Amino acid sequence: MKKHIFSLTILLALLTYDLQAQVKPGTLLIKNGTILTVTKGNQENSDLLIENGKITKIGKGLTAPAGAKTIDAQGMFVMPGIIDAHSHIAIDAVNEATNPVTAEVNVGDALDPLDISIYRALAGGCTTSHAMHGSANAIGGQCQTIKHRYGGVNPEDLRMEGAPRTIKFALGENPTRVHGIGRGVMPRTRMGVEQVMRRSFSDAKAYDEAMSKYKAEVASNPKALPPKYDRRLETLADVLKGNILIHCHSYRADEILMLMDVCKDYGIKSICFQHVNEGFKVAPELAAFGASASVFADWWAYKFEVYYSTAYNAAILTKNKVVTSINSDSGDYIRHLYHQAGKTQRYGELSDEEALALITINPAKQLGIDKRVGSLELGKDGDIAIFNAHPLSSYAVPQYAIVDGNVEFDRAKDADDQRLSVDPVKSTPSFMQARSRHDHDRCMQGVFELMNYLFQN
Amino acid sequence: MKKPSTLFAVLFAVVGLSKSFAQVGEETMKPVTRTYALKNVTIVVKPGQTISNGTVIVKDGLIHAVGQNIAIPPDAKVLPSDSLYVYAGFIDALGNTGIPKPEQPARPTGGPGGGGFRQPGVNTGSPTNEQAGIQPELRARDLIKPADKSIEDWRKLGFTSAHTMPFGRMLPGHTALIALGGTQADNMILRDNFAFSSQLTGAQTVYPNTVIAVISKYRELYKQAEQAKSHEKMYASNPGGMPRPEVDRSLQAFYPVIDKQRSVCFVAPDVKSIYRVMSLQQELGFPLILANVREGWYVADQIKTKNIPVILSLDLPKPEKKDAKKDSLIAKDAELKALEARRAAEMKSYETQAAVFAQKGINFGFSTLNSKLADVRESMRRMIKNGLKEDQMLAALTTTPAAMFGVSGSLGTVEKGKTANLVLSKKPYFDEKSQVRYVFVDGTPYEFEPEAAAPAGRPGAGGGAQASAAAKIAGKWRYNIETPGQSFGGDMVFKDEGNGNLSGTWTTAQGETKSMENVKLSGNVVTFTSVVTMGQEVNLGFELTLDGNKLSGKVKAGDAGAFPVEASKTDPKE
Amino acid sequence: MKRTIPILVAVLLLSFAAQAQVAKAKKGTFALTNASINTITKGIVSGTLLIQDGKIAALGANVSIPSGAEVIDCKGLTLYPGFIDGGTSLGLVEVSSVDVTVDADELGDLTPHMEAITAVNPNSVAIPVTRVEGVTTVVAAPQGGRFPGTAALINLAGYSPDAMYAGFKGIVMNFPTAGGGFFDRRSDEERKKDEENALKKLNEYWDAATLYHRIDSAAQTNREVKVAYNPEMAALAQVIRGQMMLMIEVNKAESIENALKWVQAKKIKKVVFTGVAEGWRVADKIAKAKIPVITGPIIAMPTRESDRYDRAYANAGLMHKAGVKVAIRSNDTENVRNLPFNAAFAAAYGLGKDEALRAITITPAEILGVADKMGSLEVGKIANVFAATGDPLETKTQIKHLFIGGYSIPLDSRHIQLYQEFLQRSHAGEK
Repeated sequence: MKKHIFSLTILLALLTYDLQAQVKPGTLLIKNGTILTVTKGNQENSDLLIENGKITKIGKGLTAPAGAKTIDAQGMFVMPGIIDAHSHIAIDAVNEATNPVTAEVNVGDALDPLDISIYRALAGGCTTSHAMHGSANAIGGQCQTIKHRYGGVNPEDLRMEGAPRTIKFALGENPTRVHGIGRGVMPRTRMGVEQVMRRSFSDAKAYDEAMSKYKAEVASNPKALPPKYDRRLETLADVLKGNILIHCHSYRADEILMLMDVCKDYGIKSICFQHVNEGFKVAPELAAFGASASVFADWWAYKFEVYYSTAYNAAILTKNKVVTSINSDSGDYIRHLYHQAGKTQRYGELSDEEALALITINPAKQLGIDKRVGSLELGKDGDIAIFNAHPLSSYAVPQYAIVDGNVEFDRAKDADDQRLSVDPVKSTPSFMQARSRHDHDRCMQGVFELMNYLFQN
Repeated sequence: MKKPSTLFAVLFAVVGLSKSFAQVGEETMKPVTRTYALKNVTIVVKPGQTISNGTVIVKDGLIHAVGQNIAIPPDAKVLPSDSLYVYAGFIDALGNTGIPKPEQPARPTGGPGGGGFRQPGVNTGSPTNEQAGIQPELRARDLIKPADKSIEDWRKLGFTSAHTMPFGRMLPGHTALIALGGTQADNMILRDNFAFSSQLTGAQTVYPNTVIAVISKYRELYKQAEQAKSHEKMYASNPGGMPRPEVDRSLQAFYPVIDKQRSVCFVAPDVKSIYRVMSLQQELGFPLILANVREGWYVADQIKTKNIPVILSLDLPKPEKKDAKKDSLIAKDAELKALEARRAAEMKSYETQAAVFAQKGINFGFSTLNSKLADVRESMRRMIKNGLKEDQMLAALTTTPAAMFGVSGSLGTVEKGKTANLVLSKKPYFDEKSQVRYVFVDGTPYEFEPEAAAPAGRPGAGGGAQASAAAKIAGKWRYNIETPGQSFGGDMVFKDEGNGNLSGTWTTAQGETKSMENVKLSGNVVTFTSVVTMGQEVNLGFELTLDGNKLSGKVKAGDAGAFPVEASKTDPKE
Repeated sequence: MKRTIPILVAVLLLSFAAQAQVAKAKKGTFALTNASINTITKGIVSGTLLIQDGKIAALGANVSIPSGAEVIDCKGLTLYPGFIDGGTSLGLVEVSSVDVTVDADELGDLTPHMEAITAVNPNSVAIPVTRVEGVTTVVAAPQGGRFPGTAALINLAGYSPDAMYAGFKGIVMNFPTAGGGFFDRRSDEERKKDEENALKKLNEYWDAATLYHRIDSAAQTNREVKVAYNPEMAALAQVIRGQMMLMIEVNKAESIENALKWVQAKKIKKVVFTGVAEGWRVADKIAKAKIPVITGPIIAMPTRESDRYDRAYANAGLMHKAGVKVAIRSNDTENVRNLPFNAAFAAAYGLGKDEALRAITITPAEILGVADKMGSLEVGKIANVFAATGDPLETKTQIKHLFIGGYSIPLDSRHIQLYQEFLQRSHAGEK
């Protein structure tokens, strides 16, 4: 029997899986389109060549390499693939709502490549999204930037390789409701939220110092002991070192200022405020800090902390030089972020370039991936959305979504039932009432309270 | 009266359970002989090797002789085994057999309007290891109850040994391979502490609740265990100048895994879990067995290349009942037709999983985890219908798990010198009309009556079956309702009102006792309704099916939906 | 010098007063000149639109402008009739997650006598936010239960519900359906059973209402007959008598078919289907029954995972193509202002621009029986008019002038005020 275990052990020790992403980057020529580069102006009647997943040429009269696919974009508008800085698609867990601080959990561990929402996002020209932990906790979990490579079962296909680590923080009603009101533990107030942040950072600092001390000591003293391994503090220490970018769910002006103060005290430089409905009230402070803002186009009044909001938020922030994006936070809105960006022209008359930047280069900056995506420039990833009209027009219909030079959505080839996996027992999928409003499923309120926490922003 | 066990038996009798007393009496009667002769049988020695018109002699717990023209020893009891088929006893490669489901503590849950999920005495963020489902130190051996009904239930289907793991969540404890027969747990152990069981199942309402927290916690515990182990080792060799190591039995349980001396038997039914487990394995480097796999066809090649031991699930999704009306609707509607075709294709994937693995030359065992007793043989037949050869099925039930558990020397075939674990069936076992007549465990025969032609216990069956179902349901049950992200528990007490009628009460998660209204028993399905107040009045409708010693089904909560319910008896003596 | 000082003071005071003054709606005679006028029903004409006594007094190239009229030069602008949203909770809900501000959902299954108009808050912050984007008129509808109440059409200007009331009421009915939300874990059989039970219950209600109607009718001619106070049944009896429209909320394909059968069996005289998310699946049958539809939201998810991603966008167009009369609603509260964008999506995915524009103007007016008063720019209709810099279904377009019931409405709302205050903050960083 011993022998058996031994051989098994050897066998298993040899194991190294091939869990790496399997999707090969593509080569593709897009002809005769109006190319909206976002960062370098527009080029009419031009071509764009993607080779092995990267943009290699933009210009007129380009020819396709042998065997490459070609898209005729005559009369169409070619823009960078849309980037959503806040979504919860393609993950199986959103909130670990059991503790006010859960920095150690990572939604990247629960990627769901089978989620039909990925295809639907592509059908709206969205090629990259930021799959986020929810907002139940003051310090929630780590998030994962994903590319919408749809069609496989390997979760690694989704992960955007090399994207910086990010983490979700949350202020205001959600953490105080879940933990203070719901569980009877701090934070019950916005004052408590601040102290939860400060204690967490302080503990992380102490942990990191102890770890450094151990590392320095262990060479000369083999009996030196490390501090007890703590993933929560280790993660927060990485936040303090700037290795993890903070994306903070926030609404009210006061709490936005609070977090900037806390971060300043701990030397944290990068914050992207999410939702940030009252960001417009403190736009100069945001700009001075260098914080960015990822906002809704027009959501307001669905809860008290967003009652004093304005749809002009994105415009005010942009005019005050805050790097601003428009996000979806929804499996529906992720399908028409181009339209949401268009609303900033109604509410604040942003220029086409400013409006398009809100869903391309700006969210790319907020996610730290602007060297890779977010504009049409040589050397960048071949992530493209093609529309039949200017993408900011309410009548625009996305025609193609391309990721790494691979056509992931082609409206002409769209067909019924794009699910990758189906229920083996029940043939007809359940009817689900379409919802227009940004409200959580109120029918569950007071019945299965935890569910409410899971689906809030 | 001298031995505590006898005292226990007497106490039982005093309580008035005359039936139990009778059983004790029977058990204590010594068999006249331990030699048995099975004549004129078809012996499936092992997959691919059959002896017809053969004889098997069982003596003192071992297979004494196998073949044709074998003399019957004079001390043999000759069983009426004429024309039966003899197989090596089946080995369940993973289940909870023999281990009673522990009672869930009642979990106070959210009240109306933001009441949240306060739990007095429970710190949801820093629960105890027990609350968190982190109990790798538990051993199946300590939890096995020889009288647990599951042993008898699975044995009846031909399983003579089982790899069993404790019930639990993330880290349920150590597994054991046990014999499905015996009176003392220790003596039933064939391989103790075979594997370190793991699941991606979160704790109920406490940390780690979701899969992301489970994975994070797994990493943390693993590395803490590595630290603790090295600290212990250093301290043991020379404690001077060192603090005494913190002792944590949960972390200590990891040590053999860290040393790669023990495999992690990781339950990973769906393809996403399989990927998650494989990536955790890659990161931490533990020896892995993938268990209770239901959607493995996606990753069969990877499993083959890396030679990962794999246990496939016997729990196949069950097709819906045939419905002529629905079929005619589907025939008329192109969209429904396409959807139905996709559904059927998906079902095929589950049904052909085992055949795909076999075709690729991957050896696998079968787990009964989460399988319904009543469905298992049908599941086997469905797999065979979908390309798995009978020999391959038999290998997965006998020789492969025997090798996996390192017990090929004693189990897995009908050969001289091996443990007399046998299944005797009328007609070949995998035939639809086959019936198990005898099962031998360690040379002890268990006889089963031929089943009646019409299966009893179905809805609409005769009053007799109904009455027997009512008698079985009567008693106290512990139920558990799973809702997304949360589960609730409490008691249900059914009373047998005679003639197949039931009444009863149940307690809500808040501890309120409610009466069951409109209790109806149809076949082995019991339904009842009740009204609870959760912010508003909510009508609950329960529908539970009796399966062995379990009640399972669902509860419909007003418009909120239906949620799975499972209940197990808390007073199995009843 | 002595004289100039008081004058200066007076001027200063006046300008101060003007600054402090809150913009208010203004009644008067307004001549909107040099405009392109999209009448919806009678083409696009150039010229002047004259508003007098709350109505459109004249429009066209040769309109004589009465003396005293305020002339507003609309050069480069296009006039449209105010948009009509056939289904909202506007005025009934202020902050949806704060229960005490939600007045849309009374307790009980059978509450058809709950009057939305009673609970409409004329000062809801969402009302100005909505109207400045061109939506001037909405159906405020109660929700929840089988018969949630009586919806009312309101103009989005006025200090009292009465002043806002725009001449249509309808009884809302949620048709029994096997549908459910995200959390609905019922099996198909369970849903079906629930649906059947709910339909049985509905028919019990209806039988009772029919009986009430018979007794109540008898009481009109026979004084001996006494009718007990029963406001629920009295409300439903109005539908039976054809005095009130029944607004049946129904979305799932099978339920729509059931609703069609039910309407036929009960011989409902005035009826509209609302929601109708899966109308495209059974569009021919709806068309054949000649029942009009108020559908929406258009910018929404498909109702089934297997459906094409754009089914909700395409639904209105597909129904229209099959011959169904289709109006569009937002089914929203605080963002009813997105109604024109919902119409734009319907337009782009098959309905066409003209029909989409009609679907939020004249078509809902016709369905609700108020086409003689609104829904197009025609002489004699209520002056619900706005002037836009271009296509009002485009997000880029700005709205420059707004009139509701002949009042000039200031283009002001909380959102705009906050914009004006915070675009360039006056006291950044001061202590």
